[in-house]
Amino acid sequence: MNEPIILLIIGIIIILILVFLFYPGKGIIARVKRSKNASKKILIEDALKYLYNCEYNQVVCSLNGVAGNLSISADDATDIISKLESLGLVDAKKNELVLTPDGRSYALRIIRVHRLWEKYLADETSISENEWHKKAEEIEHMLTPEQANLLAAQIGNPVFDPHGDPIPSENGELPIKKGKLLTEMQPGEFANIIHIEDEPYAIYSQIIAEGLYPGMQIRMIAVSDKRIKFVANGEECVLSPLIAKNITVGIKKLEKKISENYKTLSSLKVGEQGTILGIAKSLRGQQRRRLMDLGIVPGTKIEAELESVTGDPVAYRVRGTTVALRKQQADRIYLEG
Amino acid sequence: MSDSDLRKETILAAANNLRWEVGDNLHDTLMESIYENATSIANKVVEYPDKKQAFSLDRTLDKVLTSRYLGFPIMFMILAVVFWITIVGANYPSVFISSILVDSLHPMLKNFTNSFMPWWLSGLLIDGAYLAMAWVVSVMLPPMAIFFPVYTLLEDFGYLPRVAFNMDPLYKKVGAHGRQALTMAMGFGCNAAGVVATRVIDSPRERLIAIITNNFSLCNGRWPTQILIATIFIGAAAPAYLAGIASAAAVVFVAVLGITFSLIVSWGLSKTLLKGEASAFSLELPPYRPPRLLQTLYTSLIDRTIFVLWRAVVFALPAGMVIWLIANVTIEGNSLANHFINWANPAAFIFGLNGVIILAYIIAIPANEIVIPTVLMLTVANLGLNNLGSGSGVMFELDSVADTAQILHAGGWTLLTGINLMLFSLLHNPCSTTIYTIYKETKSVKWTVISTFLPIILGLTVTFFVTQLWRIFS
Amino acid sequence: MNSLELNNCANCPVHNMGNLKKLGIDMSSFDFVVALAGNPNTGKSTVFNYLTGLRQHTGNWPGKTVTRAEGGFEYNSKRFKLVDLPGTYSLLSTSTDEEVARDFILFGQPDVTVIVADATRLERNLNLVLQILEITNRAVLCLNLMDEARRNGIKVEDRTLSKELGIPVVVASARQGEGMAELINMIFEVASGKYICKPYRIKSNSSELNDAIEKLSKEIEKEFPGLPNLRWVALRLLEGDQSIIDAIRSGNLGNLKKQELVGIENA
Repeated sequence: MNEPIILLIIGIIIILILVFLFYPGKGIIARVKRSKNASKKILIEDALKYLYNCEYNQVVCSLNGVAGNLSISADDATDIISKLESLGLVDAKKNELVLTPDGRSYALRIIRVHRLWEKYLADETSISENEWHKKAEEIEHMLTPEQANLLAAQIGNPVFDPHGDPIPSENGELPIKKGKLLTEMQPGEFANIIHIEDEPYAIYSQIIAEGLYPGMQIRMIAVSDKRIKFVANGEECVLSPLIAKNITVGIKKLEKKISENYKTLSSLKVGEQGTILGIAKSLRGQQRRRLMDLGIVPGTKIEAELESVTGDPVAYRVRGTTVALRKQQADRIYLEG
Repeated sequence: MSDSDLRKETILAAANNLRWEVGDNLHDTLMESIYENATSIANKVVEYPDKKQAFSLDRTLDKVLTSRYLGFPIMFMILAVVFWITIVGANYPSVFISSILVDSLHPMLKNFTNSFMPWWLSGLLIDGAYLAMAWVVSVMLPPMAIFFPVYTLLEDFGYLPRVAFNMDPLYKKVGAHGRQALTMAMGFGCNAAGVVATRVIDSPRERLIAIITNNFSLCNGRWPTQILIATIFIGAAAPAYLAGIASAAAVVFVAVLGITFSLIVSWGLSKTLLKGEASAFSLELPPYRPPRLLQTLYTSLIDRTIFVLWRAVVFALPAGMVIWLIANVTIEGNSLANHFINWANPAAFIFGLNGVIILAYIIAIPANEIVIPTVLMLTVANLGLNNLGSGSGVMFELDSVADTAQILHAGGWTLLTGINLMLFSLLHNPCSTTIYTIYKETKSVKWTVISTFLPIILGLTVTFFVTQLWRIFS
Repeated sequence: MNSLELNNCANCPVHNMGNLKKLGIDMSSFDFVVALAGNPNTGKSTVFNYLTGLRQHTGNWPGKTVTRAEGGFEYNSKRFKLVDLPGTYSLLSTSTDEEVARDFILFGQPDVTVIVADATRLERNLNLVLQILEITNRAVLCLNLMDEARRNGIKVEDRTLSKELGIPVVVASARQGEGMAELINMIFEVASGKYICKPYRIKSNSSELNDAIEKLSKEIEKEFPGLPNLRWVALRLLEGDQSIIDAIRSGNLGNLKKQELVGIENA
């Protein structure tokens, strides 16, 4: 009579142990995996990447900068740099660290994997935006160039990552840096956000929280030392210069009039009609392509036709067809206001 | 590098530079242009009716089928009716076919082959291969010949996309794709077909979830098991006048349990191995089309039914021979089957199953359809009951459910064994065709292995806890 | 059975039906390859079944046909191989089914591409039609589901449409067999070069897009002169299509032109 009880307890204990071992992110296995990550190879590659970024942004790069960026002590940084020198990847001239051609192509390879992976995560998976960079930081040290090329081919050989950064080509080419900082804009100017810096993370997540994304159209209202005020997608947005410095914009020749009055598709009630103004850039990759394939492009008339049992998704009538969309998508399709 | 190669690389580099120059909007611009063209052409050639009344029939139907109060009840009603028609309708032809193939034809064949074959050859061919095939035909053909056409009618009418439309919130909550409802529905017919159908899901993550969980749709090969066991154990436990309803309810319960498990597992996968949030869902709701009865009957009968049946028969023939062999090859006076069963019994007991069931599920990996005949045959062989059925290593269909019940009770089966068999039938590895299809679709050993073993682990876990709780409280 | 070419009423459906020999899956030898493309759920499979006498299952939900099916038929003593491509809304994405369809039309170089479109939702279907017309200049538009269009009071001017698109347009409802004889005849006319298509080409207002396509086209033409679908190749390259990149590297792209000429000689 007692046997089943004992078995039951044993069964529960086994399950608890398994959970303890494998729990994602917090389990023992995950912890062990993470602690392995801080290897020397990774530090070396991260240092190269940092040096390359300095070069691309035309700033002089010092030993302290490396130490600060990798959050390691100055001694460790010296260690890494001398290792890089012995590998022939870096030239140390007085206070300045310069990449050798080998070092540069090594760095570009890492950056290529990093940005490709971010693009992949953004377009093909539904991993949340906050995690792209973190995951790419891990994967960039693991993928071989061949694997990177395969990945690139699979997602349509992208040339920009989701933050608007160019992705180095297979042969290590990159375009010349374009655009200017948001803080450099003049009041009254129109521009497109072309890049949002994803480091440091704290600032990046603040920008994301404001709902800003590359490709967004903005109009500058006021620039001062204390605050930057501009209109983005019809809403006024105020940032401190410290944060605004992380946003790069391209000044826009006004091809089309930018409408600032809009409402979302999800605000339509059954039977109501509207004209599509645009699709938010945050709908990316395959999702975005599918919507456009179905005829959801600017200028199209669309009508809410039918609610499902629970009210989400809603079916819309567009170009003679009925298409069901989840609210989370309809929220990001804009109609003329 | 030759000159030509250099020129080719120049083209590619030029393309890259242009792409950097144009920026990320190229595809958007292009699609906008194409649709501008399409609109201007369409405006010239298409004339729509002035009023929208023409669409009213479709609209009214949609309003009802997706309405807040009626949507789900109608869906379950339709599902229940389809199953009811299948269960009730399949019974009579099943008995009829088996009486011909098994009761009449089998002894004739046996006598005929015995006249010129050694006993072991005629046993292997007739008692093994032929009977396995006969059983599969008589059990599988009638329900399939009913289920597939009815299902196809629903499909042709355009009801399935509405189901996906209504069910989407559930799938969204567990991080899956709304079209998974469509692939699950296909899985009720055949899991392999369901796995192939997951191609309608764009996102790779959500497609994998749909592939792995497709096995939780009770497929055609498993319906007969559910129905028979429910009749014997659940129906018998209920008062006589409720027996039919109770057993039907039990089957529907298991089917719904399967859907529940697919949602739970999808959720689990979204949180762990296949981390991510539900992505987009866009589904076109096609207009309703009156199905053409005769054509549907014809195509679904000829193409689908015969196709699936043929597959089952092809797998049943060798399986029948294997069963006959392991039941008749003896080591130290005991058949191979008996050795295994006795060896597996103590472990199986912990899960409320028995060695016979375990062995049957190993033999039935190629096709789930042959689980029940294998169970019966092995039980008889194991007990040495010779007054029932046709004796050692012979797969057979018993004339009445009562006989089957008698054998199973003699084999030490209880209500608990029956319940656990139903659960295990729902939660165990997919059949070999499905496993192969999963491999073909995912091209990954890892995901094939996961889809194969995850349900078994789940099945053993569930039966384990059910068994312990049952034993504690009874 | 054959030799009805002598018949003075070659366009009469009644007579042409006799010419059609349904070959099922037997395709030991054939004179023309016909691709069948279209949006999902437009009755593509029904058309395929009708022409080949095969019975692929057709269901009423998008994405039903997931594999490429092949069949054949004979008409005017010419043997046609029919390839049913997966139904797609577009040919511009990275998904597998679109890749299959796109690559078959571009590299497989079918003699005729039949585009099955839903008459009740023509505007949406034109998206795919226009894309296909960028790739190939031998196409027939099968305006299917006309019965439903009529039921819903939608009128389509098929002649104007044919003029606009520069390809033959056949009004059909494949479920009833309506228009199938005309379709077969039009396939024959285009395949044999009796009907010369002048396919519509997409016009864009975006100077950015036009400039990019023009610049890249010039580059490609230097290495692969006389490419029939230069603009499409340039466009795909701008979208990073790997099979085009591979075709450029391997030089396969150059073969497209040659085969096109062979096709005309054949006829």
